[in-house]
Order: sequence, then structure tokens, then C-alpha cells
Amino acid sequence: MEPKPLSLPLKLVMFAALIIVLFPVFWITMTAIKPPTDWNASPAIWVPSEPTFINFKTLFDPDAIREYGVGGVSQSATKAVFGSLTASITATLLSVAIGLFSAIGISRYSGSSKATPLIILSGRMFPPAAIAVPFVIIFSNIGLIDSYTGLIGIYVAVTLPFSTWMLKSFVDDLPREVEEAAMIDGRSRLMAHFTVTIPLIKGGLFATTMFIFILNWSEFMFALVLSYSNISTIPVQLAKYVTATAGTLYGVQAALAVLAMAPLIYVGYLIQGHLARGMTFGAIKQ
Amino acid sequence: MQSKETQIKKVLQKFEKGGMDRRGFLEKMTALGVTAMVANAVSLSPLGATKAFAAIQGSEERAWELAKKAAAKAEKKTLTLLIPTGSIGNMTPYVDKWKNELGIDLEFIEEPDEVVHTKGMQEAVAKTGRYDVMMPTAMSYPDWIDSGVIYDLTDWTEEHQPDIFNEEWGVVFPASHHAQLYNGRVAGLLNDGDQITLLCRKDYLENPDKVKAFEDKHGYPLAVPNTWKEYYNLAKFMHDPDNGFYGSLEYRSPYYVKWMFMQRLVSKGRLYFDQDVNPTFNSDEGVAALEDMLAMNEFLHPDAFSFTWSSNYNAFGRGEGFMNIVWPSGFKYSKAPSTGPATTGKIAATVMPADTLPNGELLYAGLFCWGYGYAVSKYSANPELSYAYAQWMTSPTISADAIPYLGGYSDPYRINHMLAPTQRLIDTYSPEYLQTLYDNMVNTVPDFCLPGGFEYQDALDKQVHACMTGAKKPKEALDDAAHSFERITRRIGRDKVKESWLALAKNLAEPIKKASGADQW
Repeated sequence: MEPKPLSLPLKLVMFAALIIVLFPVFWITMTAIKPPTDWNASPAIWVPSEPTFINFKTLFDPDAIREYGVGGVSQSATKAVFGSLTASITATLLSVAIGLFSAIGISRYSGSSKATPLIILSGRMFPPAAIAVPFVIIFSNIGLIDSYTGLIGIYVAVTLPFSTWMLKSFVDDLPREVEEAAMIDGRSRLMAHFTVTIPLIKGGLFATTMFIFILNWSEFMFALVLSYSNISTIPVQLAKYVTATAGTLYGVQAALAVLAMAPLIYVGYLIQGHLARGMTFGAIKQ
Repeated sequence: MQSKETQIKKVLQKFEKGGMDRRGFLEKMTALGVTAMVANAVSLSPLGATKAFAAIQGSEERAWELAKKAAAKAEKKTLTLLIPTGSIGNMTPYVDKWKNELGIDLEFIEEPDEVVHTKGMQEAVAKTGRYDVMMPTAMSYPDWIDSGVIYDLTDWTEEHQPDIFNEEWGVVFPASHHAQLYNGRVAGLLNDGDQITLLCRKDYLENPDKVKAFEDKHGYPLAVPNTWKEYYNLAKFMHDPDNGFYGSLEYRSPYYVKWMFMQRLVSKGRLYFDQDVNPTFNSDEGVAALEDMLAMNEFLHPDAFSFTWSSNYNAFGRGEGFMNIVWPSGFKYSKAPSTGPATTGKIAATVMPADTLPNGELLYAGLFCWGYGYAVSKYSANPELSYAYAQWMTSPTISADAIPYLGGYSDPYRINHMLAPTQRLIDTYSPEYLQTLYDNMVNTVPDFCLPGGFEYQDALDKQVHACMTGAKKPKEALDDAAHSFERITRRIGRDKVKESWLALAKNLAEPIKKASGADQW
């Protein structure tokens, strides 16, 4: 069936939606290439007349911004970028891997109680602020505070309910018969999951991985309370761009925010086909 | 080549033996980098030059001796400091000295300033020992001491004499007590003179047309305001929104607006509590203070409701207003051509305006708000070394050197910083502004430096802001804040808050004590 052309009102609504969605991205990107004099000029400067990459340079060379008479940046963002990549990628892989097998277990095997999915989800029912301090105490006693191991551990604990529930819905929507057919062909149960279940829910797996990665990548509170000096992440670093001589360094913050967005946009672009499939997987109930 | 210390010693001995006149002595000492205050005090001292010089430099030298001993026996050769982001500039110039002469690495852990208090409370339960020295505001001391995360420094201060109460070079009273003591015991050593003063555009005050027009209209000369009424008149007179120029840049934004209310309240002769820690701000004076603020709203910068400290400074520096109520860093901002392109060389500063009491007397009341200091973590592996660092950095001599460095929050807080400043302090601030800081500081009242202080402030701030936005009437807002205060007091314990409040009130400036009745408590 040929798609219908968009009516004018719908076009206008879509255009308005696009403006609203893209405005923060536009503003952040423009701020990232503004010189310090334009960061919070009044009236606001929308597009800088003399764009500069000094804010990006300052992220990795804190003295670079002195070119504009702004001092006081003391930390490079290198450690935070490395920390965010390490913690987010590792925690995402662990969360999705554990969540995948939990999802298959809940969906396919009768051994698990009907309450199991709800119990797994209960981990998400506490506000992070309520569990942060107990984790600080526990982690400091077992030597995990201010370590990537501790941070990754808590990221996995926090995102596992999401990955389990998301993947469970994808596994649920896959007919059991295709796995049974593989077993009739001589594959073990485990191999049937590896060769049939996982490839068939690939789109859902990508979508879940992306979603969990975004959660980990943007997490602030746990990273803040668990970090002293050994670990750092981008959201925590963003809060530290305040100097006594120039106040909040909006341009440098924006530059780091643009850098933080970049991997998400890039990966999202690469897997957009899988994402679209993953998001709509199971939309039509059998 | 002779070391500077040897050269100073020779000059002292020569002066003592009568081989040099006083003028020559002062010039020579200044050339050797000794502050004007130190040189002057030494030249006049009945102790003799050598002894007097040792006395003034004593705080620094005693701290250094303690640091040497503590560093020698320290197994952990790193001193870790928890500091607010943006404050490191006052500390980094001394890193090499500590490394080269003591073998101690200084490691700085920077956290956003609003997180420092929470990080300290977290350390009380985590007990990681990652911090040695912690740099909170004065409001953190009560909760930190009570939760056992920092040392009571009193025994150390009695033994090593940081000279915080010295009449010539100590911390200016009453900040010396409010921002360093908790229940009469030393909890931290102040390193930042955060107080609010009033800035005006001098070029507008000197404009002949405005001088005449103002005097014709009001019948008194155009000048920096002496009272809140004059402040209002000036803001109204200078307000020119069509040209993007506003009467004042006073804060109305959440988190900052409580301070605008607190200083007005106290200048009307009312404190935050009575002697039994019942809230007193929901009184006629409190309502009048809020009404004054509401009346001012018409003449404020349109961004007043969203200002942070830095966006406020930037707007004033861009020339968008006649007056501003700011911390000393705001003056530095406006004075520097890079951050104050429209205000450099054009600022007149004055103490916070007075209000008129029912008996007709004027009451000046500034606010000593925020104000960082050094505390020593109870879980530090090297507490003596940590204390030595705090005393050394805040000594009259080192602090005078540290404050003018850019990239830190430290502002003048000792008497010698303001009344006998070094050339670098003069270059950073100006003699007139340093005198203004001193005149204002002697009449400052403290933040809520009490157990639960941040909670009290937050409760007040929310209600004052609700009133400023029109969501609540003044009396309703203040009654709601008072209700919240009662709940906080009950939860923390009335006796505990009362003890701390009375200790604070005991050290208020005499005019404020008298006007508020606290002299009878």
C-alpha cells in the first residue's frame, strides 16, 4: 500500500516537534563553538560570528582557555571520558548478557516463580538517592568505593531490571516452536538459544543495549557519591566546570556535552535499522 | 646570594641597633616582600624588631615547624584535600614548596560546591579516610562535628596559636567567631571572607546631569546609599529599562534570595530566632522586609529571578545595572577588564545600607554568608599534618599572599588583609574597597551556622522565593517558613539548637545585639 502524503496540519505539527526536539541540540552545539564572551551574552547570540574550537581544546588542555583570559580550569576531561567509556560499556555488556539469560529463563522455563519478574523489577522501585548512602557504606567496607569495579557493579544492579524486562518481552514474542525445531534438528537447548533465539531477537537486543548504554552513560548520582579521586565520569565532570574567575564555563560544559552525545548518535545511526525493528518487535500480537 | 630570610634578619638587626631610620626600614622591608602591616607593626613594637617580627610571622612558622615534624613521621606522604570546584587557584602556588621542602604531595579532590557538605556527611558513614583536609563553608561545622567527621581543633589552636583572635592581624570580629567556632570550640580555620557589600556605578554618581536631577528630586546629594530607603530611591532614579540599564541586580533567584531577605531583616533589628529558638522572622519586621523587596522588584534586572552568582557578575560587568549586591569576588570581577569591560575603574562600593529603627537610630547589618574554611578529617592518617596545613595556609602572612592569586574563592578575612594590605592585595581590590570590606565585616551577622543549618536556610529560601514570585503573601510565606523551622528544631532537638544559637548570638556586633535584644539573653 502506498503511504499517504502528509497533510499540511500534520506537516506543521511534525515541523514543530522537530524544532522542539532539536533546539537543545542546536543550542548546545552552538554554545560549544562560542568564545567565552558569547557564552551568556545579553541579548543571546544564537550563532557565533567567530566560531572557535577552544572549548573542545580546553577539555583536554585546561590551559587552552587562558587565550581568552579565562583561568581556573584545573582538570582535563580525559579521565572522565575514559571512565565513562569503561564503566558504561562494561556495565552495559554485563547487564544485557545477564538480562538476556534471565529473560530466556523467565520466558521459557517453568522453574521460575511468576513473581520473579516482579521481584527483579523491585530493584527499580527505590529512588537512587535512597539507596546511594547504604551502597557507600557497603562499598567502603569491602573496598569497592572509588573503584570502577564498584561503579560497574552498581550500574549493572540498577539497569538489570530494565534489560531483563525489555528482553523478556522480545523472547516472549518469539514462537517457542522455532527453538523446538532447532532441537529436533539435534541442537541442545542452550545451542538452540544461541543459534535461534538470540539471532531472531537481534533487533531487540540492539535496542536494549542502546537503552541500557544511555542509562549508564548519563548516570550522575551514583558516580558522584562513589567517586573520590580514582574514578570520574562525564556527568560528574560536567558539574565541575565552575571557576572563580569566570563562573560557570558554559562553553566548555557544552563542548563536553557534545562529545557525550556523539557516541550515542553515531551508534544509533549505525544500528538504526535494528533499533527500529527492536522497538516495534512484538507490536503485532499473535 | 643571601636568602631572603637572611636579608630580613640583617635589616631587623640593623634597625634594632639604630643603624636605620623608620622610613628606610619600612622601605627595605617592603622591598623584601614583607607586608606593610608587618613592617609597620615591627617598627613600632616595644618588643624590639626581631621579637616582633617573629611574633607576627609566628603563626606561619609554628605551623611550618609542626608540618616538618608531622611530615617526617608520616607514613602516607600525601595530603588529600576536599575542595569546592573553582577554589584551587589559591592553593596551587604552594604545592611545590610542600613537595620540595616536606616531601608531601598535595592532592586536591574537587567537588561542586553544593556537594561538599554532602560529601562530608557521607564520610561520616563511609569512614574512607580519603580526605585529610576538608574545605566546607562555616555552616557545615555543626553537622560535621556532631556526626564525628571532623576534629575539634581547639587543643591544637591552643598549642600552636594560629592567631585567629589577634587584635592586629587576627580574623575580623565577629566572623572570627561565627565562621570558625561551634559552641565556643574551634571547628575550622577560615580562609575566605565571604560577605556581601554594595557596588554602585561611580561614573553615574559623578554625572553632572544626574547629580543635579537627583538632588532636585530628593533634596540630598547623589551618592552611594546609606539606608535601604536611599537604595530604593537610587534604583528607581537610575532605572532605565529602555536602554537595557536597570536600577539594581539584587538576587531574586532560588538559593540566593534568602540572603537578600536575611540582611534586610537584621537591619530592622530582628534576628532569625528569639532566645528560645522560636522563629522571629514572621514578625512585622519580616513582613516589612519582604514588602521592601517586593517594591524593589520593579527596578531589578529582568534576570534577577534566575541569576546565579556568575551570571549576576557577568551582567553587572557588561554594564547592565547601576547597583549590585555581591560578594567580594563580584568586586574583583567588575574591576578586571576581561570580566567587567563596562565597569572596570567605574565602581564605588559601600557597606550594606542601614535601616531606621523605631527609635530613629540607624542599624547597619551586613551578612557573612558562605565563607570557606579548613577542617581536619577525623579519618585522616595524618591529622597533625592536616592541621599544620590549615594553620599555615591561613596564617596572616601566607593568607595575604594566597588571596590575590586568581582562580580561587579566597577573599580578605584578616585585619591585616584590609587595614594593612600588601601591594598585591591593593592591586586586586583597591584600598577603598578593602576599607569597605572591613567596615562592613564588623557588622556582619552569620549564616545559619547551627545544627541543621542547611535545612533552615532551604526552608526560608523556598518561602521567600514563593513570596517574590507572587505565589504567597509575605505573612503567609514567613508563617510557612516558621512552621518548617519549628519542625526542624523539634527533630534536631531544641536544646541542641538553642545552645548553638545562643553561642552565635553572644558574639554579634554590639549594635545588633542591642537592637535585637540579644544583649539581654
